[in-house]
Amino acid sequence: MGAGPVVKASARLVVALDSHGNSVVRVLRSMTPLTLVPARRVGPVALVHLVSSVTAPLGGDSLSLTVEVGPGASLELRGVAATLLLPGSSGAASSSLVRFVVQGSVRYLPEPTVVTRRANHTAVVEAELDGHAELLMREVLVLGRVGEASGILSSSVRATRCGAPLLHQQLVVGDPLVDSSAAGLAGKRVVGSELVFDSAVRAADGGEWWSVVPLAAGGTLATALGDDVVTVTRVLDAI
Amino acid sequence: MLTALILADSRFPGGGHVHSGGLEEAAARGLVHDEPSLESFLRGRLLGAGLLAAGFGAAAARGEDLGWLDAELDARTPSPAQRAASRAQGRGMLRAARRAWPSERLDALPRDPHQPLVIGVLVADPFEAALTCAYLAVSGPASAAVRLLGLDPFGVNAIVAALPVQDVAARACKELPALGSPALDLLAEAHARREGVRLFGS
Repeated sequence: MGAGPVVKASARLVVALDSHGNSVVRVLRSMTPLTLVPARRVGPVALVHLVSSVTAPLGGDSLSLTVEVGPGASLELRGVAATLLLPGSSGAASSSLVRFVVQGSVRYLPEPTVVTRRANHTAVVEAELDGHAELLMREVLVLGRVGEASGILSSSVRATRCGAPLLHQQLVVGDPLVDSSAAGLAGKRVVGSELVFDSAVRAADGGEWWSVVPLAAGGTLATALGDDVVTVTRVLDAI
Repeated sequence: MLTALILADSRFPGGGHVHSGGLEEAAARGLVHDEPSLESFLRGRLLGAGLLAAGFGAAAARGEDLGWLDAELDARTPSPAQRAASRAQGRGMLRAARRAWPSERLDALPRDPHQPLVIGVLVADPFEAALTCAYLAVSGPASAAVRLLGLDPFGVNAIVAALPVQDVAARACKELPALGSPALDLLAEAHARREGVRLFGS
């Protein structure tokens, strides 16, 4: 690694249900550049914004966020702006880990991530659900800014319920031969997914470049490929 | 080695010839129409779905628990159409294998097992199992392209021979992959929904 600061940050968020039936933030530990901002409201769902997203690090950075949501509690964790994956001055790879331990309910809605040309990032999301836990999470990746080639991103998600695997998917972008292949990303610049683990049963559905499918061990995955964020987001919103 | 050769042979009666691995849907949409577009399709398929299958073939050959592998591969196969195709090919291969190579470990496979698990059990060497899986991930779609698009068999064979099948098999032996193939999954789902005449089951 070359010169330049390397950030190793870890943040933690704990949400629990209080005696009035409200979801309240019990622990909120931010660490630059991971800033968690709880909304000033009291209710059944705690709303927290992730102001400097874990998906927007510079090369060399290593960021982690742990989120715990207790029985009966609900958390909505949102990003505030689209985030850019950028290379650092050192040219080193960067990484981020977001870990959810869920007994209640979580909606994780980060804004789209743009993989700029020389980025080299590994993003990992791990979700451990208990028997009744619910989780919804969305990911929208954009391969480069307009007219720009994509950098390298490995984005993986592993979700388990009571230790049994529900979904384990790694998506690697930035190899032009694979990104352009009809068996890779079919040359589309934007790939979006929405993963839902709840008690609802959704029928399989789909179109040319999108689908909503039931997973083998429960849950639903929506996937959409497109040329722009608006088109992909519209598909995910319709679920 | 002989078992691997028999399983990879297109004349092996495991029913693999009725699956195109998404090629039929890609050809119907005009995404694959000539040798360069076929090469791109097969390369993407090998580096994604091929690596995934090879990793599970190698793990089964190493003796990992088959029920655990089956659940882990399900978790890595979000598309129901892809799960069905993998299990149909596993079932077909198992039927032929029970006559040819009966064993206790074959009986330990889950019902309608994913095909890479059957290959791993039959081809006990992890690298050979991975190589068989990786090769089958491209050889079926390649021959489907010859039948559907009327491409030159010599040209298609040269494309397959130049693909980095061995590199993928070597990588697959190092860790259990979880690579997804979003476009391939969407092609598989669209193929399953497609009405009218289809030559292939997937």
